Amino acid sequence: MRLVIADCTVDYDGRLTAHLPRATRLIMVKADGCVAVHADGGAYKPLNWMNAPNVLTEHDDHWTVVSPKGEELLITLHRVHSDSAHDLGIDPGLQKDGVEAHLQELLSYDPEQIEQGLTLVRREFPTDIGPVDLLCRDAQGRTVAIEIKRRGEIDGVEQLTRYLDFLNRDANLAPVRGLFVAQEIKPQARTLAADRNIGTSEIDYDVLRGIERPQQRLF
Amino acid sequence: MKFRCERDVLIEALGTAGRAVSGRGGLPGLSGVRADLRGDRLQLTGSDLDLTITVSVTVSGEEDGVAVIPARLASDIVRALEPGAVVLSAENDELSISAGRSQFSIRLIAGDEFPQMTVLASDPVSIKSELLADALKQVVPAASSDDSRPILTGVLMAAEAGGLRLVATDSYRLSMRDVPGISVLDEGQTVLIPSRALTELNRILGQGDQVELRLGEREASFEVGGVSLVTRLIEGEFPNYRGLIPESHPNVLTVRRDDLLDALRRVKLLAREATPVRLEMSEDGLELVATTQDVGNAREQVEGTYVGNPLTVAFNPQYLLEGIEVATSEHITLSTIDELKPALVRIAELDEFLYLLMPVRVS
Repeated sequence: MRLVIADCTVDYDGRLTAHLPRATRLIMVKADGCVAVHADGGAYKPLNWMNAPNVLTEHDDHWTVVSPKGEELLITLHRVHSDSAHDLGIDPGLQKDGVEAHLQELLSYDPEQIEQGLTLVRREFPTDIGPVDLLCRDAQGRTVAIEIKRRGEIDGVEQLTRYLDFLNRDANLAPVRGLFVAQEIKPQARTLAADRNIGTSEIDYDVLRGIERPQQRLF
Repeated sequence: MKFRCERDVLIEALGTAGRAVSGRGGLPGLSGVRADLRGDRLQLTGSDLDLTITVSVTVSGEEDGVAVIPARLASDIVRALEPGAVVLSAENDELSISAGRSQFSIRLIAGDEFPQMTVLASDPVSIKSELLADALKQVVPAASSDDSRPILTGVLMAAEAGGLRLVATDSYRLSMRDVPGISVLDEGQTVLIPSRALTELNRILGQGDQVELRLGEREASFEVGGVSLVTRLIEGEFPNYRGLIPESHPNVLTVRRDDLLDALRRVKLLAREATPVRLEMSEDGLELVATTQDVGNAREQVEGTYVGNPLTVAFNPQYLLEGIEVATSEHITLSTIDELKPALVRIAELDEFLYLLMPVRVS
C-alpha cells in the first residue's frame, strides 16, 4: 500500500470528464493496482478512483493512470508532503460471524450469564457432526449443551437438536439437555425449542462486554 | 363493475383502505385495493396480510362486480381530478376513471391474486370510540417500532378489575391505562395487538360513536362507522410489566402539566446528540437543565411542589416529553426513588394512567 499526501490537481477522462482543482489530498495506490484520491472527509468514498487493473506511469511532476478501457486519470503533483509504502500482507477478510464468536468466548468465561450454577466443561466440544459451542455442567451436575447464535432462529434449534441426538448416545454424558442462547430469539424458534424440551435464553452483548448504556432499560 | 360517486368520497375511501396496502412487495395482489360493488354499496379493501382495512361507502351503482385496482395509482389519479362526480368502470382487465374532461384507463390486477379475507364470527363487544381513542393515544406511543423484538411492537390488552387494561413498552418506558367498565376479555385473558393496527384504528375512530371489537384466536377486528379493520395478533409472552412498577416512591414532584411541557420543549433544544435533560428537584421546586458539549446549555425553573430528598435525575427528553404529553390533566406528578431507578409520571389523583420511565445514567 503506497500512501502519498500531496498538493495535486486531478483530471479524469473516461465515462465522463471530471476535474479536481489544486488541493492537498491523499493518493492511495493499492497493491492490486487500484488508485484512489481522497479528501480529508467523506468516510470511505474517494473523490476519484480507478479500479484495477491499471497502468500507473510516474513522471517528475505528474502521474498517469490508464485502464484497459482507455479511461485516464492525470494527477499533477505540485508538492509532495509525504510518500510512504507499507506491506500489509494478505488480508484475512471480513469476519461476518465475529459477534457470534465473541459471544461464545465471553460466555465461556462466565456461563452463569446464561443460567445460574453453570460451569464450563469445554468450548467447541467435538461431536461426529461438528462441535457444539459450549458443553457445561449445571448446578446438579448434569450435562448441558449450549448453542449460541446472534439471531436465534429455527435453524439453530434444529442444529442443537442434532448435537443433542449425538451427545445423548455417549453414556458418559447422557442425559444431556440443550440450551439455545441468542441475543434475540424468534418466537418460532422459541416454540420449537420448547416443543423439544430445549431451554432458551436471551443475552445482552453489551452487558457481557461490560459496556454500560447511558439510557437504562426497564428490563 | 361500474359506479359513480363524488370525488372526495372516493379519495377518503381509497386513502383509508390504502393505508393497509403493502409497501413491501410480495404478492402482486397486495399492491391493490379490492373493489366490490353490490347495488349502491361499494366495499374497498386493502391488506398486507397482517392488517386489513375495509371501507364501505354508498355510491350510485350501475353494474355489480369485483376488481382489484392498483392502490397508489388509482388514489393519485382520483386526488388529481377536478371536484365533482367520478365514474369508475372495470371491464376485462382495465379500469376506466373519468371525471369532467379527464379520462384514464389503467390495467387492473388479477382478482385471484388478492388474498381471501378472514371474517370473525365471535360476538362483538361495543366500546365508546372516544374512550378507546383516549386510551390508545396514551399507550400506543410507548410501543417499540423495532421489529427485532416483535412482542414489544404490540399493545397488551388484558382484563383487569372488571375493566380493560392497555399496556405498551419499548423497554425504556412503559405506558399503562385502565379503562373501567369494559369487558372485552375473560378475567386472566390477554391479547397482544400490533401497535401499527391500533395507530390506524385511532385514525378512524372518529368516524363513529361506538367501535365493535371481535376477538378470534389469531385475529382481532374493529368496526367503526363504515370501516372494518382486521389485524393479526402477536404471539408470544409479554414482559411481566407488574414486576417493573415500583411499589412506592419516596420523592414526589407535583407540577402544572402545561408549565412543565412548555419548559421541557424549550430546554430540549439544547439537549442534542442524545444528551439527556436533567431534572434538579428540591424543596424550591424544579429546575430543568440541558447541556450539549460545544453547543451550549439551557436552564429553566418550573414552579411545583416537591416532597422528598433533593434529587437530580436525567431523562431522554423525548421519552419524558411523550409521557407528559399524554398525561392530560391540569396537574401531574413525577415520582422518583433515586437517579437510577424507574420514575413514574401520573395524572394527579387519578390511578387509571401511569407512564414508567427509566432514567439516563449520567456522571
